[in-house]
Amino acid sequence: MTDINSVLDQLASEGASPPSSGKLRFAGPLLAVLALCAVGAALILDGAFASMARDGMGPIAVKWGFSLILLGLSAVALFVLGKPGRPTRAVMIGVALPFVVILTLFGVEIATTGPMVYGETWRQCLMAMSVMSPIAFVGAIYAARSLAPTNLRRAGLVAGLFGGAVAMMAYAPFCPERGVGYMVVFYLLPILAMAAIGWALGPRLLRW
Amino acid sequence: MTRTSFQTQVSGDALDRHMADARAGDRKAYRQFLAEATRRIRAMLARKVGADSELEDVLQECLIALHEKRHTLDPGRPVGPWMYAIANYKLIDHWRKRGRSRLVLDDEVEMDVAADSFAGMDIAALLGELPEAQAQAIRLTHIEGMTNREAGEHIGIGVSAMKLRVHRGMLRLKEIVDEQRP
Repeated sequence: MTDINSVLDQLASEGASPPSSGKLRFAGPLLAVLALCAVGAALILDGAFASMARDGMGPIAVKWGFSLILLGLSAVALFVLGKPGRPTRAVMIGVALPFVVILTLFGVEIATTGPMVYGETWRQCLMAMSVMSPIAFVGAIYAARSLAPTNLRRAGLVAGLFGGAVAMMAYAPFCPERGVGYMVVFYLLPILAMAAIGWALGPRLLRW
Repeated sequence: MTRTSFQTQVSGDALDRHMADARAGDRKAYRQFLAEATRRIRAMLARKVGADSELEDVLQECLIALHEKRHTLDPGRPVGPWMYAIANYKLIDHWRKRGRSRLVLDDEVEMDVAADSFAGMDIAALLGELPEAQAQAIRLTHIEGMTNREAGEHIGIGVSAMKLRVHRGMLRLKEIVDEQRP
């Protein structure tokens, strides 16, 4: 009992006020990888928005719309998952919704024009996703570690979704492809693969 | 009226009151909060690990975690769910580190799970493989810390039925773990 009392005295002497940098420690890594991927893509790749003259705003609006919404929802989900005792079902449903929307659009595409899956630049797209997703994933892991996630697999999965969303957001302006089928195969599947890796690695990377 | 002061006035839970006062700068209140948290977590752990030296080790880990992660408790939110979520997490983590898990089967009977049974395992994923009724029974009694009577009342069944569900669930969990072992 004496040991516990001395622990309590020691902890109490540090006070209850949380460190003021708490929010920055969460948001900082997320913003840093977002900026790193966006600036990196802009410096390395050519032809941003080149396809807009041919296809208009539609394709980039869908790609950015999906990736930015997923990015925002996954950041919020990561934050909620990092707060012990908070219900997390709603945020997990939230991160699934953008996928449902795109799959619905894919269904419409299949019914109208047929699936438009192939694209000339698929190799570059996969390369961009496979390079930038892990970078952004690492940032999300750092952010999550600043909090206290208790469901490590779920938090890892959401960190993977964030990583994939950042990669897609950064690469989308350079992508000339316009099919929703292409987006499903070369963006959504890599994002889900990153999420699966996050789910598998979560317990190792996020333990505290 | 700030959110914190509002909470102080309406919450009847001593944990909430002490934490609100502590965050307003009252160090004595923070010491009282920690003492109350110690009492409640010890009671929870006693049901799960028994009253031996292991309990005190886990208790210390829980208290340190509560303090280090205190920034994850939002002002205005009840302290209880946050505190028990951290305590449960540290307990499961403690079992993982030790590579051995002893889970209390019910109020009277203990079931020692073999060495390394739950090492590296995700308890939530394991529970997902059980029938929902058994998973819920284990979740309520072993993760949320309810007694068999409380859990039985919570889902509307008798104590004996509750014990049976937990018992069958634990046996099935053990089988699943054994099947997954290379």
